[in-house]
Amino acid sequence: MLASGAVTMTAAATTSSAERSKFVGIGLLVPVLAFFLVLNVIPTFWLIGLGFYKYTLGRGDPVFIGIDNFNAIINSPEMWGAFSRTIRYTVLVVGIEVALGVALGFLFWGSARMPGRRLALTLLFTPMVMAPVATGIFWKLIYEPTFGIINAVIVFFGGTKIDFLTNINTAFSAVVFVDVWMWTPFMIMMTLAALGSVPTAELEAAEVDRLSLWQRVRHVILPHAKFILMLGILLRTIDAFKTTDLVWTMTGGGPGNKTEFIGVALYRQAFNSLDLGGSSAVALVLLIVAIAFTSIYLYVLNWSKRR
Amino acid sequence: MAMATAQTGKGRSTIYYIVLWAVSLLFFLPVLWIAMTALKANTDILAVPPKIVFQPVLDHIKRVFDDPQTMPYFFNSVWLSIGSVIFAVGISFPAAYAFSRWKFPFTDFLMFLLLSTRMVPAAAAIIPVFQMFNAFGLRGRFGMFILYTSFSIPFSVWILKGFIDGVSERFDETAIVSGAGRMHVMFKVILPQVKPGVIAAFIFNLIFVWNEYIFNFVLGNAATQNIPFGLSVNLLDAGGNVDWGFVAAMSSMYVIVPMIVIFFFQKYLLVGMTFGTVRGDV
Repeated sequence: MLASGAVTMTAAATTSSAERSKFVGIGLLVPVLAFFLVLNVIPTFWLIGLGFYKYTLGRGDPVFIGIDNFNAIINSPEMWGAFSRTIRYTVLVVGIEVALGVALGFLFWGSARMPGRRLALTLLFTPMVMAPVATGIFWKLIYEPTFGIINAVIVFFGGTKIDFLTNINTAFSAVVFVDVWMWTPFMIMMTLAALGSVPTAELEAAEVDRLSLWQRVRHVILPHAKFILMLGILLRTIDAFKTTDLVWTMTGGGPGNKTEFIGVALYRQAFNSLDLGGSSAVALVLLIVAIAFTSIYLYVLNWSKRR
Repeated sequence: MAMATAQTGKGRSTIYYIVLWAVSLLFFLPVLWIAMTALKANTDILAVPPKIVFQPVLDHIKRVFDDPQTMPYFFNSVWLSIGSVIFAVGISFPAAYAFSRWKFPFTDFLMFLLLSTRMVPAAAAIIPVFQMFNAFGLRGRFGMFILYTSFSIPFSVWILKGFIDGVSERFDETAIVSGAGRMHVMFKVILPQVKPGVIAAFIFNLIFVWNEYIFNFVLGNAATQNIPFGLSVNLLDAGGNVDWGFVAAMSSMYVIVPMIVIFFFQKYLLVGMTFGTVRGDV
């Protein structure tokens, strides 16, 4: 549009200057496109190719086997298990984080004049800017069976000590708890942003009309706030689906396969079993899932912008 | 009602603020616990029941500084994150400007592809890169630097394009009519108006690279190993007897950096955590 705008603007401009301007534009893109080509596009094609080969690192050259790797995924109870576990985990953590985050977001709505607000929010938001590896280590210490603080509390109230991360009954919930701790602040932040997108005039009108709380939420707040909330929920869903580092440090996927999520399973297949062909096929499936998520995200984003 | 008071901005009761502070502290409690552990003597760390009140010692913090293994981790974390992010933002700004002003037919599709690279699980993205790095001998400083640059590009382009889209094209047109070149327009006219976008892109890519673990663990070597790598190795090496004091000291020192950043740049947090797609006040 600017290329054509520039033409109409300077009446004397010729097509050739518009053409030249276009080259300038493309020239500005070159460094980014070069990076994108070398570190994203080529690896993706490499991945696609590798998905059709039998190739284990250190065991000879790749052998073309067609769609066998994909058949193996479909016929693998471990992979199905990891997928369904990941979905169960994602639904659970996102559900809890949204419920808690929205509730606390409403609570924090009106904190504009809170004394020390900046410091309080820094403390509140710290969990989400921490490295998942550091988080995993922190919580290993907190869950520690002999001198960990949580077990001390349990003993104090007359319970018996639990080794949370190696007990098959508690490991999954223990990881869910850490995820909820880490990412509920994100949903609080998104809720605050969503509430901030509601025009003040409409809230005041609702006040004058003496609408009930439910009516306000339904007719005044949600029509405006729903987009940012949906974007928040989508980002959390994408991220929870990717969970790898956190679980890898805390449980390594165990005990048994209780916390073996798809990211962890893939990592193990690629770098412990060195089965690069098979793991590439799994990675391709995840790539398609990621593209689907991105499409949904952008669809919601554009929908909110069109209004 | 709560929201009415919120909007009119009248002060709220003390109890309300105490509750909010309590919620914030509750979320911070695990971090505080580790910071306390870092200041405990070994016997206090292993005490049953855990000690809330203890004689603080700086032994572990000193050990982190004295350990010849650890300082390189810090050094690598710093140069890798700052260097790659400056470079990424530097090349992303012209690209974002081009995407915003020349409405190429492929813009939407490329922006979509850029964003989707950040939605792929790291374990999936790393397999072909691992192969490529091995094939071309890229494991090392240069390889990790370009890798982290490529990580930081999608987010930078997204956030900067969003900000540049918000600056009217009339600025460009006016400047060009009065004889300015494209470079002048880009750096002297547009850049000053999108400073918040540049800061947000810088800060959040910095936090991301600062926290990155898997790629560093799989693809790095001694010249690039960062603190998350150090944390994981120090934890795993010790086997049954983890050196908790050391790990706690190292991770507390490490977490302080993102904390300071979000304290001073709090208003960029929202835009930063949403790839620049959501803007507003928190």
